[in-house]
This record gives sequence, C-alpha cells and structure tokens, in this order.
Amino acid sequence: MRRHTRRIFNICYRFTGNRTEAEDLTQDVFLRVYRTLASYRSAHGGFATWMTSVTRNLLIDHYRRTKRDRVTDSLDDAMPVVENKESVGRRPDEQALLGELSGQVQSALTRLSPELREAVILRDLQQLEYIEIQRVLEVPEGTVKSRINRGRIELARILQQMGVRPA
Amino acid sequence: MTWTCEQTEARLSDYLDGLLDPAEWSAFNQHVNACAICTPLVASVAHLLGGLYALEQVEPPPQLETAILRATVGVVGTKHDFWAWLRGLQSPRFVYSAVSVAATIVLLLTASGFNWRKPKLADLAPATVYRKANGQLHVAYARSTKFVSDLRVVYEIQSRMNESDQNPAMRQETIPQSSPKKEPGRTDNTNPSTPKQQNRANDISRRLEVLACEFPFLSSSLVDRRVP
Repeated sequence: MRRHTRRIFNICYRFTGNRTEAEDLTQDVFLRVYRTLASYRSAHGGFATWMTSVTRNLLIDHYRRTKRDRVTDSLDDAMPVVENKESVGRRPDEQALLGELSGQVQSALTRLSPELREAVILRDLQQLEYIEIQRVLEVPEGTVKSRINRGRIELARILQQMGVRPA
Repeated sequence: MTWTCEQTEARLSDYLDGLLDPAEWSAFNQHVNACAICTPLVASVAHLLGGLYALEQVEPPPQLETAILRATVGVVGTKHDFWAWLRGLQSPRFVYSAVSVAATIVLLLTASGFNWRKPKLADLAPATVYRKANGQLHVAYARSTKFVSDLRVVYEIQSRMNESDQNPAMRQETIPQSSPKKEPGRTDNTNPSTPKQQNRANDISRRLEVLACEFPFLSSSLVDRRVP
C-alpha cells in the first residue's frame, strides 16, 4: 500500500508539479482502482502496470479539465514568472526537497505536452520498460520510443530557454 | 555513411541509451562532431537525463494513506479499530475456531459432571471440576474394565459352544455328567431299564421263543441271545 502510494503520488506530482493536486489525484487513483478492481486482468500486465494505466488516464482527464485554467494563467503570467510561480506558494520543506536542477527540470516538465510528459515520466523517472509503457499508454512500441525521444529533446530545449545550460 | 540532423535527432535517445550498433554509433558521432546544431542538442539532452535521474522520489504526506483508506474501505484510525476488529471476527476461520472451543468446553464440563439444569458458580471452581472429573474418570475406567471382562466371558462361552457343535464326541466329554441315580436297594451300579425298553425287550423275547419253536436247530443260539 505504502509503496504504491509513493509511486502513484510521484507520477502525479511530476505530471502536475503541484503537491495538493498530486494528493487529490493519488486519492482518486486509489478510489478508481478500488471500484474497478473486478475489471483487472493479470493477462494485461502486472497490477502495478494496471495501476499506472489508471493513473495515466486520470492525469489526462485532469489535464483536459484544467486546460482552460492553465491557458488563462499562461496569458496572465509571462514565461520567466514560471520559476517565481514555482517558488511562490511552495512550502519551505518542498523548496529544500528539490535541488536547483531538480526544480528546473520539474518546472520544465509541466510545460511539456501531456503525451510527451507522460512518456518521459514513465521512462526516465519511473524507469518502466518500453513494453510496460506500451501497455500503459496503449500505443505501439515505435510510438513510445518516438514520444520518449521527442519528449527529452523538447524538455532540453525548454531548459535551455529557461537559461539552464549544461556544465 | 553520413547522417543528417533529422536522423541524428531521431536516434538521439537510442544513442544515449546505448542502443545503436557500432556502425550507427560511428555515423552518429561523425555527424554530431561536425554539426554546430546537434552538438549542443546532444549535450543538453544528456544533461537533462542527468537531472531527471537525479530527481529524488518525493515523499507523500503521511495523512495521504489514511485519507485513501478512508475513501476506499471506509474506516481507518485508532477510533475505529474496535469496529475493524469486530468485522474481523466475522471471518469463517474465527467462527469455526470459536465454535470448536465452545464445544470442547461444554464437553469437558459435561464430562466433569457439571449440572446444566441447575448450574452453580461453585461447580465451575477448578478444584471442584478437577475432583468431579477425576471421579468420573475412575467410574468410566471401572465400567470399561468390567465391560471388557464381561465380553471376554461371553466370547469364551461362545467359542466353547462352537467347538462342541463341531465335535459331538467332545460335546459328550464337555457336558458335565451327573452322577447316576441309585435306586434304593440297588448296589450293582447298573441302569434300570425304562418301561418302554422293557416292553420292547419282552416283545423280542417272545418272538425269539416263537422262532425257537419253529426252528429247533436254532434254539440253542436263539436262547443265548434272549434279552435278559
């Protein structure tokens, strides 16, 4: 239970970049898993993969639901403010938790398109195999590889725009 | 073989993950070393991967797990532990165990002579239970010993009877012989003939006499055979 909670919370947090939203989404994931447990079939992959799939679907739903709010926010706030926005409203323990680069990467992740973001999170943060990502995203392996590659390149470009340069 | 920027970009992740074969790896490096656009791109993506891998797992808040349990199974926490414990008692395994224990207690109390119609608290005292159980045990032992002994006698009798049925000679021997009745005044220890036997003997004597008259040459031998 604790292991799954930690894993799902991390996926949600990396996807949304917000602890409160991540908490709510994690709770929603477990609620949905609990209600749809009868539909789980081990033939479709392990339980963790199935749970990740449920998480991904909820995250996409959440992304679509909050898209309008984000568009309004992005119109109001210029890009350099993104970093300030990350700093404002975050508790000191969160600030301490994320290092400088980690904070920038997290910030860049939230600006990535949801398709590329989820692929990068599952591959580079959750260390899932291609076959598992394929099951979660329900796309062919070639598409998975392509999304991961494009996501990494896009993320690197966002970081460059944010002024992060490789040492 | 020389790669273009598009080819290099498309295989960038394979290069970083070490999935290129030697020829591809060589072509990739050849292009990147010569391309002013791809060199910083590869460096920045490699740097990004370092940053991604350096991202530590974020610990969820402690109350999240409790909130999840409350949202799913309904009750959690110390307040409701008693009810959760009560629900646990409804499991078939516990019910079977409880019934077994109760049945054992009832059996032991009954065996120790506990009066279920007029139960007394004093009867449940360990010393009383022990004393009664001890008494019941001794009585049961004595009864069982007697029962076994009786069975042994019955089997012995049955086996003797079976043997005598199979061997008539033996039966004669095994049947106890009563002492011959002695009529008053008789000292020769002979059986007196019954009236029926006597009549038959008389009849045979008469016939023998008739035969002796008819056949004189047989008279001497027939007379000898005359029934006394």
